[in-house]
Amino acid sequence: MEWDWDFVWEILPTLAKGVIITIQATLLGSVLAMVLGLFTALARRSPSKWISAPMFVFNDFIRGTPLLVQLYFLFFILPDLGILLSPLAAGVIGLGIHYSAYISEVYGAGIDNVSKGQWEASKAVNLTVPQTWRHVILPQAIPPMIPALANYFVAMFKETPLLAAITVIELMNAARSVANESYRYLEPMTLVGVFFLLVSIPCVLMLRHLEKRFAPNDQR
Amino acid sequence: MGTPIIQIENVSKSFGSLSVLNGLSFDVASGEKLALIGPSGSGKTTILRLLMTLETINDGVIYIDGEPLWHMEKAGMLVPADETHLHKMRAKIGMVFQLFNLFPHKTVLENVTLAPTLTGKLSKPDANNLALELLDMVGLADKAEQKPAQLSGGQKQRVAIARALALKPKIMLFDEVTSALDPELVEEVLNVMHRLAAETDMTMLLVTHEMSFARDFADRVLFFDGGRIVEQGKPEEIFSNPQQERTQSFLKKIVAGGRQI
Ligand SMILES: Nc1ncnc2c1ncn2[C@@H]1O[C@H](COP(=O)(O)OP(=O)(O)O)[C@@H](O)[C@H]1O
Ligand SMILES: [Mg+2]
Repeated sequence: MEWDWDFVWEILPTLAKGVIITIQATLLGSVLAMVLGLFTALARRSPSKWISAPMFVFNDFIRGTPLLVQLYFLFFILPDLGILLSPLAAGVIGLGIHYSAYISEVYGAGIDNVSKGQWEASKAVNLTVPQTWRHVILPQAIPPMIPALANYFVAMFKETPLLAAITVIELMNAARSVANESYRYLEPMTLVGVFFLLVSIPCVLMLRHLEKRFAPNDQR
Repeated sequence: MGTPIIQIENVSKSFGSLSVLNGLSFDVASGEKLALIGPSGSGKTTILRLLMTLETINDGVIYIDGEPLWHMEKAGMLVPADETHLHKMRAKIGMVFQLFNLFPHKTVLENVTLAPTLTGKLSKPDANNLALELLDMVGLADKAEQKPAQLSGGQKQRVAIARALALKPKIMLFDEVTSALDPELVEEVLNVMHRLAAETDMTMLLVTHEMSFARDFADRVLFFDGGRIVEQGKPEEIFSNPQQERTQSFLKKIVAGGRQI
């Protein structure tokens, strides 16, 4: 089979639409995962067991089941309960919920990493609890979280092809449909691979840089 | 002499099944410099932490300036204090920790100005001026723009003292503030505390294993063992002529450990 540039130009507009959906799903999914993850991370720290325990169960449940199953639930089963989601919405919510469970752990570890002494010193200089979060705890907790968060965003990006299973026309789905029509897989699949590489490699390089930059520092 | 600035009345504190303080009572006069000494585990730190509201109280009442610290008066009854009350009471008290607990992401100057500006006590320029004054007092004005990680232990502890002073507390608590320091850095911190004791009328409570410092610094020494005051008195009395057998053996052990009295 020979590489056919004409075919490449022909399918490029279709694939470009897929690229946009892939990027949209990743970005929206990341934002949702960060917000939801923060919510569950804080809920898990609640002094009330009635709030924290369900959150622990929820996180374990989400991490213990495949993303694909969760996507099927959102897209094929929720409509039976009267909740109808567009394919992309179901995909974004699925990615967001799934990754929120991991990101929640990242937040938790980042917050726990700030020593107890920082809370005590804040109390001793009479900061309120919100002031302590904002000026003392989060500024120390967030930077070390950034590499781990970025890592999950890259992972999420590479898992977007799963959304094809719920009929989202992201890049993989777009490529498959042009391939199915033309019986040529070489060009579409190569382009998909190249696209993922082109995005992933800079991300991974940036990650390494972030990891060095935010190496743990002296807490005292 | 007016009312004592601190009144500790029948205070009890336990951690799980471990009872650390059991009906402890003592007063501290305004401006008094008090040294708390005693073997490790005798509850000295717990007393300071109760005063700083870092530990909750199980029983008894602590009065600061005649006002209950952990309680509020409601219809003539003492009820557990809410956060607003605790916040108000904390303004009277400052604390310096064994491990400094500086804010590592802030500069030295910001460490000192953060609280006065956030609590709305001072404008930013006023807070800066006050901070520079205090840093000058502890001999660190030239370090204002550095991060804590760039400082030696002794310098960190002097910044921590300046940070606590910036809120102008009436009471300062020092918990073994030199025991994490290399021996050659102890002196510079003790000097600062000496100056504070001499130049201010702040009430100061000091937990320490530096007996010679306690002797110079304190108006009164309390010797603790097992959460109780075994003996108390003027430093000369306690250090030169201890009456209780446990005090004698504790002081002997400290001397044998290579520390001078
Ligand atoms: N947060 C805590 N949880 C459990 N036990 C504690 C805690 N803090 C202190 N203790 C115990 O309480 C006792 C008194 O401790 P502390 O007040 O630190 O004594 P000191 O400062 O005189 O060495 C010790 O036995 C210590 O292990
Ligand atoms: Mg102690």
